[in-house]
Amino acid sequence: MFFEHIKRNGRSMRKDNGVYFSSIIISIVAFYVILSLGDQDVLRYLKTIESDAVSKLLALIPVLYVFSLFLLFFLVYFTNRYQMQRRSHEFGMYLMLGMKRTTLFSMIMGETLWNCFIALLAGIPLAVILTELIGLLTSRLIGFGIIGHEFSVSWTGVAATICGTLAVQLAAVFILSIKTAIKQPFYLLQEREVKAQKLPTVRSGRVSLIFGIILLASAYFAGVTLMRMIELIFIIFPSVLILGVIGTCLLFRGLGSIIGVSVRRRSADAAGLSVFTARQLQENVMHQWGSLAVSSLLILMAIICFVYGISGSYSRNSSEARTVDFTIRGEKEKIESMLSETDGIGQLISSQYEMKIGMLDSDISWHTLIEKLSQKEGSQARDSLIRDFSDRGRMYVISLSSYNALLDSIGEPTIELNLDEAAMFSHSVFAYTHEVLSDILSSGQRFIFGEKEFSLKTELYTSNVVADRSITLAYALIVPDEFFDKYAHDSSNNGYYNMMLSQDIVDNKGLMQAMNDVSEILSEKGFEFESYLASMGRQLFYMVAGSYTTFYLGIMFLIIANTVLGVKFLMQQQTTKHRYAVASAIGAGTSELERSGRSQIRWYFGLTILVALISSVFGLWSLIGSFMLSLSSLGVNIFHIVAIMIGAAAFFIAFEMVYIKVICRKSDSLIRKLSDIG
Amino acid sequence: MTGYEKLLEVREIHKVYGDGQISTKALNSITFDVLRGEFLGIMGASGSGKTTLLNCIATMIRPTSGSISLNGRNITSFKGTDLARYRGKKIGYLFQEFELLDNLTAGENISLPLSIHGESAAIRKERLKKLTRQLDIEDILDKFPSQLSGGQKQRVAAARALICSPDIVLADEPTGALDTKNSKVLMEKLSSINQDDGASILMVTHDANAASFCSRILFLQDGAIFNELRKMSPEEDRSSFYERILSVMALLGGGSANVL
Repeated sequence: MFFEHIKRNGRSMRKDNGVYFSSIIISIVAFYVILSLGDQDVLRYLKTIESDAVSKLLALIPVLYVFSLFLLFFLVYFTNRYQMQRRSHEFGMYLMLGMKRTTLFSMIMGETLWNCFIALLAGIPLAVILTELIGLLTSRLIGFGIIGHEFSVSWTGVAATICGTLAVQLAAVFILSIKTAIKQPFYLLQEREVKAQKLPTVRSGRVSLIFGIILLASAYFAGVTLMRMIELIFIIFPSVLILGVIGTCLLFRGLGSIIGVSVRRRSADAAGLSVFTARQLQENVMHQWGSLAVSSLLILMAIICFVYGISGSYSRNSSEARTVDFTIRGEKEKIESMLSETDGIGQLISSQYEMKIGMLDSDISWHTLIEKLSQKEGSQARDSLIRDFSDRGRMYVISLSSYNALLDSIGEPTIELNLDEAAMFSHSVFAYTHEVLSDILSSGQRFIFGEKEFSLKTELYTSNVVADRSITLAYALIVPDEFFDKYAHDSSNNGYYNMMLSQDIVDNKGLMQAMNDVSEILSEKGFEFESYLASMGRQLFYMVAGSYTTFYLGIMFLIIANTVLGVKFLMQQQTTKHRYAVASAIGAGTSELERSGRSQIRWYFGLTILVALISSVFGLWSLIGSFMLSLSSLGVNIFHIVAIMIGAAAFFIAFEMVYIKVICRKSDSLIRKLSDIG
Repeated sequence: MTGYEKLLEVREIHKVYGDGQISTKALNSITFDVLRGEFLGIMGASGSGKTTLLNCIATMIRPTSGSISLNGRNITSFKGTDLARYRGKKIGYLFQEFELLDNLTAGENISLPLSIHGESAAIRKERLKKLTRQLDIEDILDKFPSQLSGGQKQRVAAARALICSPDIVLADEPTGALDTKNSKVLMEKLSSINQDDGASILMVTHDANAASFCSRILFLQDGAIFNELRKMSPEEDRSSFYERILSVMALLGGGSANVL
């Protein structure tokens, strides 16, 4: 009987507060997705090659989880507090009918437990399916193919999700139900409606608004201009943050009174329910400015997380091209004998060649090049080139035959050099200088080495010479083999040997599997080597780690912000529902009232989102201006970043539209219920 | 002012709550008319069905059977736009608990029905001015309900009920939440609007004092009309009408056995 009662109350809570309940389910899904990260294919693979970095990331996840549980706690606490205030009369009645306090307390806790159980029942399977989809999608996107994929459930993830969700819910409701159960029945019966909060006067509202705008404007200004001074970042960044947070709070605090003033000014010629709508909105903003400000800040954080996550993963992804699959370091004879073995890996590879890299034994004079550079328009790239070539006397050189073998293996045209010619190579990591450098080279450049003048090819070569991404030659010269043999300090006994997998094997087994097979053989034989996949893996790791964590946080922020807004609005509407009944009694039609409700919701959400969007424009501007200076160095076009931001904005708008629509429907059904006549 | 034109015709109204064995008859075959310009009171003990009757006329609930016509049109069949138009324009409703929207100023509360029905700002201003003068609430239009006394609130509510110049004002215990002094002020204002402007008023009350302002009173008992009193105007004054009301109430209190 008691359990039946709990189930019935639980059902009515889920029905009355569907938005909140759905948000709990979404949070459960998000929790599991982040907690099961360690069991995802990509991470499992990365663990084998980058165990240190992966374990650092996996150690960070509990921190993220606890942080999001902390955010969720507030959502649960405030929603339930409102809910309990609404049910206060009911609780008072139970006590008057002879229910014991302990029974009341266990009834409330039982309802929470029951609802939590249902949310987990819905959330966990959903989360497992979603994680599978994400796993499939990531391996597909990264180009590993789906060969390595296996279905898995992270049981520790499930356990942690259940424990976390239960703990947060029970802790929040425990505090609240203790508060409720110790009250005298008389006070519970009295407390039918939520007490009005202390409202700011018009004057203090105006002052708040003006100060809010001033603080926000100074935060924007400081963010955009002063944050570029990297040396002062530890002073400026916290100040921008504090100014922004206080500014947003003050802005929302003052907004209500401004709505009031404009209603008063226009009420004489307002038509329909517009005065009613504006007054309702004003009340919502005035009573809930704190929630609006917090939601707005959370939405701002979500936008920044999304854009940062997307652009981060995009930029790391874009600059990598596959030029060499394996680079083995070791003695030439040993490597060649291994390759010629019949059962060895010789048949798995399509091309193999020695990559001869050495250092010149005397200095090169870059006099004319530097002079040309100095004549160019000032830029960061130019300055860095001048600096690099001024102290680059001894250059690295690459032998022409090796580089041509590389170009040949990836299907690019080879280079031809005369004896007095050389070509310039630069690693793709230094892409930010490539535009200026190519421009200089195209006009024909010369350098002096050993009292002899050499001319440079007009083209710049950037195809990476070894599989190891950690070995980056900023600038090197590709020189004829005769020149290399004569002047280079060659470490051929311990050189680099490049291999490319045969296309048939890659098509057959998938790149990931084929590389794994070859890696295993090479490790068995005790060679020191680096594979494209391993170095890609390192890049991939930063990409996965960056985008997963930022997306996770972004989604959590967005869910919490929207749920706070939605639930607060609907509860306020529920509390003031008699007003809709009165408006209906004095002649407002149901559709008019529904329109009024919807327009209140759009304004309510719109104001919050608008402030967040304005702040995000400045926020991203200052991010690009300071922290992300290095973006251009990764060879990413700024227009691409803008396009991605637009994409992120589209996703965000779609998310918000869905949310607003759901809240509008809820509001419509409440209003329809009120104006139904029996 | 009372003419002989029928404004509201209530015919054979029945209202049953619930169904089957647990049903309760709230109204049992009620028939009466309200003439244009009349100030009709409906009295009865708690549970006699007077509020149900008023709610049926106000279209807040539908009667189980019977018809209610205003100006010859059957309002029980109204839906959608007709219903909303009827509620705002044809009737004005005065609630016992005022039911002012507490986040709108007094002035905004009063003009809300007019703006819902799309009246021009000029007309609104003019009506607002006239009514607020009549009800003596000109100085409080910019105040919010929480800043007003009970009596002021009810006069603001009365102004809201009258602003659309409805065919009939329906008042549900309008003095129920007021003290004697404020009750008297409100009833005097309503009575003068009835007499000077010819506004028709149908008021449910169990306050004999308030009822003495009416020109005719119907007494309900157990969902049926039990008695009717008519003020003999102009020769009868309010206090003797009050005495007669009290004697009928005494009869009501003694039960129907005493009269039948």
